[in-house]
Amino acid sequence: MLSTLITHELKNIFFSPKFFLTFAVVTLLLLLSVVVGINQFNNATRQYETTTQLVQQEMREARGWMSLNNKVLRKPDPMQIFVSGINNDIGRMSGVNSFNGIKLTNSTYSDDPIYALFRFVDFAFIVTVVFSLLAILFTYDAINGEAERGTLQLTFSNAVPRTRYIIGKFMGAWLGLVIPLLLPILLSLLLLLVWNVSMTSDHWLKLISLFGAALLYLTFFIALGIFLSTTTKRSSVSFLFSLVIWVCLVFIVPRAGATVAGQVINVPTVAEIESQRDTFSKDRWMQYEKVMSDKWKIRNEPTQRMTKEEREAFREEKMWEWMEEDDRDRKQVQIDIDEYTKKVNEDLRNKKAEQERFAFTLSRFSPTSAFQLAAMNLAGTDIALKTRYEDALQNYRTIFTTYKDKKQKESGGMGGIRIEMNSDAGIKIDTGRERGVLDTSDMPRFDHPIHTFKDGITPAIIDFGLLGIFSLVAFSGAFVRFLQYDVR
Amino acid sequence: MIKLIVEKELRDLIGSTKFAITFSICSVLILLSFYIGIKNFQIAQAQYEASKTANLRQYEGITDWMRVQEYKIFLPPQPLATLINGISNDIGRTIEVRGRGELRSEDSRYGDDPIFAMFRFLDLDFIFSIVLSLFAILFGYDLINGEKERGTLRLTFSNAVPRGYYIISKFVGSYLALAVPLLVPILIGVLFLPAFNIALSGEEWLKLTLIVLAGLISIGVFLALALFVSAKTERSSTSFLVLLSLWILTVMIVPRLSVVGSDLFVNVPSVDEINSQKSRFMSQIWNEDRTKMNGFVPPKTENMQEVMNAFNKFMQNLADEREKKFNELTARLNEDRMNRQAEQQQLAMFFSGISPSALFTLAASEVTGTSVRLEQQYLAQAKNYQQGYAKFMKEKTGMNTGGFSFVFRMVTDDNAEKPKPINIGEVPQFNFTPLSVASGIGYYIGYVGVMAAFNLLFFVGAFISFKKYDVR
Repeated sequence: MLSTLITHELKNIFFSPKFFLTFAVVTLLLLLSVVVGINQFNNATRQYETTTQLVQQEMREARGWMSLNNKVLRKPDPMQIFVSGINNDIGRMSGVNSFNGIKLTNSTYSDDPIYALFRFVDFAFIVTVVFSLLAILFTYDAINGEAERGTLQLTFSNAVPRTRYIIGKFMGAWLGLVIPLLLPILLSLLLLLVWNVSMTSDHWLKLISLFGAALLYLTFFIALGIFLSTTTKRSSVSFLFSLVIWVCLVFIVPRAGATVAGQVINVPTVAEIESQRDTFSKDRWMQYEKVMSDKWKIRNEPTQRMTKEEREAFREEKMWEWMEEDDRDRKQVQIDIDEYTKKVNEDLRNKKAEQERFAFTLSRFSPTSAFQLAAMNLAGTDIALKTRYEDALQNYRTIFTTYKDKKQKESGGMGGIRIEMNSDAGIKIDTGRERGVLDTSDMPRFDHPIHTFKDGITPAIIDFGLLGIFSLVAFSGAFVRFLQYDVR
Repeated sequence: MIKLIVEKELRDLIGSTKFAITFSICSVLILLSFYIGIKNFQIAQAQYEASKTANLRQYEGITDWMRVQEYKIFLPPQPLATLINGISNDIGRTIEVRGRGELRSEDSRYGDDPIFAMFRFLDLDFIFSIVLSLFAILFGYDLINGEKERGTLRLTFSNAVPRGYYIISKFVGSYLALAVPLLVPILIGVLFLPAFNIALSGEEWLKLTLIVLAGLISIGVFLALALFVSAKTERSSTSFLVLLSLWILTVMIVPRLSVVGSDLFVNVPSVDEINSQKSRFMSQIWNEDRTKMNGFVPPKTENMQEVMNAFNKFMQNLADEREKKFNELTARLNEDRMNRQAEQQQLAMFFSGISPSALFTLAASEVTGTSVRLEQQYLAQAKNYQQGYAKFMKEKTGMNTGGFSFVFRMVTDDNAEKPKPINIGEVPQFNFTPLSVASGIGYYIGYVGVMAAFNLLFFVGAFISFKKYDVR
């Protein structure tokens, strides 16, 4: 009997006039989003490769090891085709050198604000908005619509158990929506292969899990639609309620969650933190200069009673030792500044993490947020993308500066421009090596943070669980309501 | 007769469950958006002040103007920008100003706090372009075919009711039922502003009025569209389906695809490409200058201070020359990119013009001053400020600070008089002038004009369709 009920429901959906139009729209949208996503991914990859090569070239042509400045770009990931997440909101690149801290700058949206005005369309967006609306549209009159048409009374004039009927309704609606949606989804996968997008096994696993989350999300809205159709007598009323609840769950609750968290937990701006760091930095450099000034006084003391020739000989003899000492002190200043920066950044991060946790807790009341979070975690375009890169860049900065210092030492001299001034010799300028190419072939390369399937699925489990619970609650509600439903 | 039908339409709609629910939701949302906007503005204002204070604090106790580096200016928050966000959260708010060199804005709100980028804010743009457009469709999808399904259309036309009067009254009645009640929460929301001590200038009040006006015209477009589709179809379920598909396309898809589409036609060089060219050129001229530095001949004097002054002057000349060359290149590269960007933006806006919600977003952001022109405006004003800053610093230090330069300090003996701390408050203030109504009104009229044309077009479509409509 269950299969008969399911088949009946499937026929109702497939032969309804709304079926063709809605699935044509969804198929078109999904395929368009993937084509556009692939195109953008390919452009981003090309841009990444060209800029990285230019940076390498610039480094090879640098005047000396001392002035070597690296620039690292975030590597585009194929998963951003499906879930752009915060990928376009955060900076794409950071300078890596001894003097400035790590900072991701030049986000896609800040470079080209026209994109920010309307944003991008991707699979996650289509699922959250279009799939959910579709589910509501096909189920809002699942029960009361039958009652209005009189077919419910007709069905129950036979010995049909109510439990089987509601399960049949649900499964029929589910299959009626999921099977046709699988077609554009499979076609979009085919597009990846046709366009030769390099996907690892982890990417495929992430993609399958993403589709799994999308199905769970769809399941919730199907169950919700059926539930609402059991709570009201008239399909027009249930439709109105469905639409209002849809607006709230999809658009309002997620935004409200983040906004409330922003109001409750105040986080200082990056500019404020940077000014704090600059204050420390200035103080520390002033302290260094004071020490240097005292040191030079002591160093010059023995020369007071020397002749001009003796003074020059003495300075020549001691110069290397002094320069090494000064360099050590200078590096210590930089280490102190780096440590202070690390501390203030950590404080900022802790506050932000607190704000984010609170925002997620509030917004997770909406299945849309749960799906969005699961999708972003799986795709690696989640909120932690920024910190993952900042941490990796921070580690790389240490490796890079160590390498640079080592190379500088090996090449001899202190590097940079040396300007020496004293009353005996006047002014002497040493502008370092002549033009040529630096051999950077052994320079440590930046290892982009790897986001494995495990890294994505672990934080997403909670959202999968929530989507499962939401669906179960909605279906249970529909089940219980239908047991008491007046079928006349 | 029109009055009678309008009154009947108003009674029908205002007494419906549909009205009660949609009106409640809209009221809550509009009030929330005002409240959240005000709170966000207050937070942004506090953060702006804190950033400014922290920026000045770093120079406390400093005795030498040469040490004033990393001086920052900030984009002040605008009260209306929190009601119509536009791109205000996507562009950098901080600019580090030096006496010379290029300026770059950094630290966008969404870049700093991606949590807000993920979910975005609840603003009036979102309410008008997404929620109210959907509710307009909900109000209008069965205006004609719904009456027919219920048999009331036939009943009405059993009397001598001119069809033209009927369709006009239907549109006017449903529009009034949708738009007039919305003015109540909007007016209450507006009252929140003085209640929370947000003082708007006369121009800002005008901007707010224009935003609401554009919003009311935009919901009129969706209502006229719904009336048209309702007069074109026999069943209300079909008209709703068609309208919902159109809503998804025009609200969600067209605006997004219009930008991507414009990208296919206009190739804008990437920032990375341009930066790389600049960086290579700078490196080249810097290397040339390093060679020139070796040719410095100090004046024949025993006085070290004179030697240093001569060297500084020599370095300044090199820096000025370098800056001149660099500026020529950057001006050319930036202009080329900006021109192409403007071309791309115009094309994207042209494509998105078929979406009434995109038109509203564009009109509202133009009049609020949060359109794509905001970033250019901020950078242009910062550039002007830079000139004043450079002049001030030259007065204080004797040289134009910024770029590659060397600072020499003479160490005097301990008995010398201790130098006095500088007063950082003397640095000229950066006062940002938001985009005025006048600068955006042309664009606004254009976008609102297209919306009005859509209104007329759909209404005429509905009128003609209804003339031929089978009322039985």
